[in-house]
Amino acid sequence: MNSIEWRPEFSTGIAEVDHEHRALIDLINATLASCADVAAGRREIQAALGEINARTNAHFALEERLMEQLQYDQRHEHKRDHERLLEVIRDIMDSVDHGADFNQALFVADLSSWFSEHFRTHDARFHLRVSFSN
Amino acid sequence: MNWLKRRVRAAFEAVESAFDSLFGREFNPLCQLGALGWFLYWIVVVSGIYLYIFFDTGVVQAYQSTEAITHGQWWAGGIMRSFHRYASDALVLVAFTHLLREFGLDRMRGKRWFAWFTGLPSIMFLYLCGITGYWMVWDRLAQYVALTTTQWLDALPIFAEPIARNFLDNASLSGRFFTLMVYVHIAVPLLMLLAMWIHIQRYNHARINPPRRLSYAILGGFVALSLLAPAVSQPPADLDQLATHVGLDWFYLAPYPLIDRLGAGTLWIVVALVLLLLALLPWLPRLRPAPVAVVNLDNCNGCARCFADCPFSAITMRARTDGSPYKEEALVDPDLCVSCGICVGSCPTATPFRRASALVSGIELPELTVERLRDEIERACQAGGPLRVIAFRCTHSAPLRVSAADRVAVFDLPCLGMLPPPFIDFIVNDQLAAGVLLAGCRQGDCYNRLGIRWTQLRIAGVRDPHLRERVPRERVAFSWAGATLPAVHATALRQFCDALAVLPALQRGSVVARRNAWQARATRMPRLLRYATQALVLLVVAGLIAGLSSAPSIRLLGAQEAVITLSFTHAAQRLQECRPLSAAERALRQPNMQRPINCPRGRWPVYVELELDGRLVYGGLRQPAGLWKDGVSSVYRRFRVPAGVRQLHVRLRDTGRHAGFDYETRRAVELRAGRNLVIEFDPQQGFEIR
Repeated sequence: MNSIEWRPEFSTGIAEVDHEHRALIDLINATLASCADVAAGRREIQAALGEINARTNAHFALEERLMEQLQYDQRHEHKRDHERLLEVIRDIMDSVDHGADFNQALFVADLSSWFSEHFRTHDARFHLRVSFSN
Repeated sequence: MNWLKRRVRAAFEAVESAFDSLFGREFNPLCQLGALGWFLYWIVVVSGIYLYIFFDTGVVQAYQSTEAITHGQWWAGGIMRSFHRYASDALVLVAFTHLLREFGLDRMRGKRWFAWFTGLPSIMFLYLCGITGYWMVWDRLAQYVALTTTQWLDALPIFAEPIARNFLDNASLSGRFFTLMVYVHIAVPLLMLLAMWIHIQRYNHARINPPRRLSYAILGGFVALSLLAPAVSQPPADLDQLATHVGLDWFYLAPYPLIDRLGAGTLWIVVALVLLLLALLPWLPRLRPAPVAVVNLDNCNGCARCFADCPFSAITMRARTDGSPYKEEALVDPDLCVSCGICVGSCPTATPFRRASALVSGIELPELTVERLRDEIERACQAGGPLRVIAFRCTHSAPLRVSAADRVAVFDLPCLGMLPPPFIDFIVNDQLAAGVLLAGCRQGDCYNRLGIRWTQLRIAGVRDPHLRERVPRERVAFSWAGATLPAVHATALRQFCDALAVLPALQRGSVVARRNAWQARATRMPRLLRYATQALVLLVVAGLIAGLSSAPSIRLLGAQEAVITLSFTHAAQRLQECRPLSAAERALRQPNMQRPINCPRGRWPVYVELELDGRLVYGGLRQPAGLWKDGVSSVYRRFRVPAGVRQLHVRLRDTGRHAGFDYETRRAVELRAGRNLVIEFDPQQGFEIR
């Protein structure tokens, strides 16, 4: 089954951010696993997506606060990318709500590509800036 | 008390609604009285600094330099002086309107006592500033202020000698008093600034600047007022030849005529009682405290959004206490939290989509959790199919009555700011209702200060947590109405339902919607009429300020009257004579107590009588000052008498004798109309009449 894997290069060097990144990836993977295991009904999938939505929201709020505190120069671009993912998640939630089949492969592909791209570009740059200012 | 509050509130809401359509909500001066107060304070400070550069202290110089500022450089100093006076008067007007309004809107009870309570010293300092300011100019009004204030102060039993004696006549007046006044007049505004700063300490994002356009309009108004009705001095003070009338600044000096009417002591009691009543108002009656917000650390990652949004500085961020990898956590100060729930609305975990785990947000109001709110919304929707509108109503706003046939569900919140925006996403996209109505307090006038502002910014997508773009804003509506204006909500709901009825079916997907929520159009006057009425309102306020700043006058003296001022301080004879100590007595004393004579403490009181044309005008026993009653006895009395040639007989005794007098003087004096005849006493020379 597809899943998202944590890679050492995802690390930002900020303990709380890394902790949440890992937790998010775990949550997504657990969701995928449970969906696959029990051939879950729509309600379970909706619930799981709702959880991912909430946790991602909270995580972004924290990361955006750190960027604001450090007056990180690309915080607005970074935040825009956050918003993009939140829209993606809500799109998926909507499609499940309104009868579309939950396409696991597509879901993982969407999320996985967003995460790896976001980690590789935005978070890596932020990490660099944080280690610089330290 | 509640009856009074409701009346005051209704009056304010009626006037403010009229002002809304006149000025527009953003520029409604009644909705920013606090910020206006700050703005006026700064105008007074800046103009005061300018005046100080050219002001000279001294009996004659004070008046002369003020005249030079006013007339010699009318184009700068004169305008500055008018700014200084009119802005100070406006500040009194704004401060009391602010006080009355906060009282009417009941925003001073419970945890919000602090701003009310600390506003009172600000007002007291304001009065002290105004009174010392009028004193400094040393014109006729200053003379009235000096005499009346000192007599009022002399009613307190703390001064050994009457301060009023400093203002007996021109000859005895000292220029140093003016230097003292300047110091007081500079020190008190600084104290006032401190008090104003403390006043806003418990407010997050306190508004201390009015909108720029309103500030310009006010400045323009002051310039016009300075040119049309410049602030000028009254004729110079003259302690020997008294004026019959004096024009008062009623903003500052309204209580002064009462000193003559009621007596200085009574006025102290009245002032003390009024201040006490005002200070106690936040607890009359006591507000039942609602359970405060609670932080759930399992759902708090320290993102600090609640910290940023709390209007009452009740939330602080502190180091994490639960051993998790997060650095910080939110902490609620129960003494400051007013349970408005704005923090709940800001929490990113407060989303109704959470179903895998219990819906507990990072910060919650125990009496209305987000889970309960979601469950109640879902329950309302299950009964009888989708609703037309789900309305969230602030409990401080007007009631919103609906019938079952309307298919509208109303949920009450302690503040609209409590609603997390994902709830709107949830309702609209899950089609629980066709639209969401947010019915709050009067716009610009949130009971909880920032609930409306944050809600509007969140819906507009400007402030986090914002309403996602996918939610079409034509399905979200605002209605703002004060508690006494229920028709506004009813109309908005009806119009919103009509607007929803003609909307096409909801489009799915990430469409960029417009960011402004639906709102009933504010009724605004035609532009020309609006400008004319704005000018009229400004004119009325300006006229009120200019008019009451020097009129109406009060009568101090009849046209054919003169004044006799009887005033002296005199140490009467000792109760027991001093006696030389014998060598034996001195030997018993400590080495540092070797004075050769023994003077037992205590003096006789001074009994003084004043007779005019054979008629007793005054007879008074004056007790010696001091805890041991061994100080001076003093008297300061002014008598208004008909003008003409009068036979004066003044006498006193300062020994223990029961009859007869130790000193007395008879003289025929000519009392011209307006003359101030001063009678002093000195044991060497006896009575001095001048």
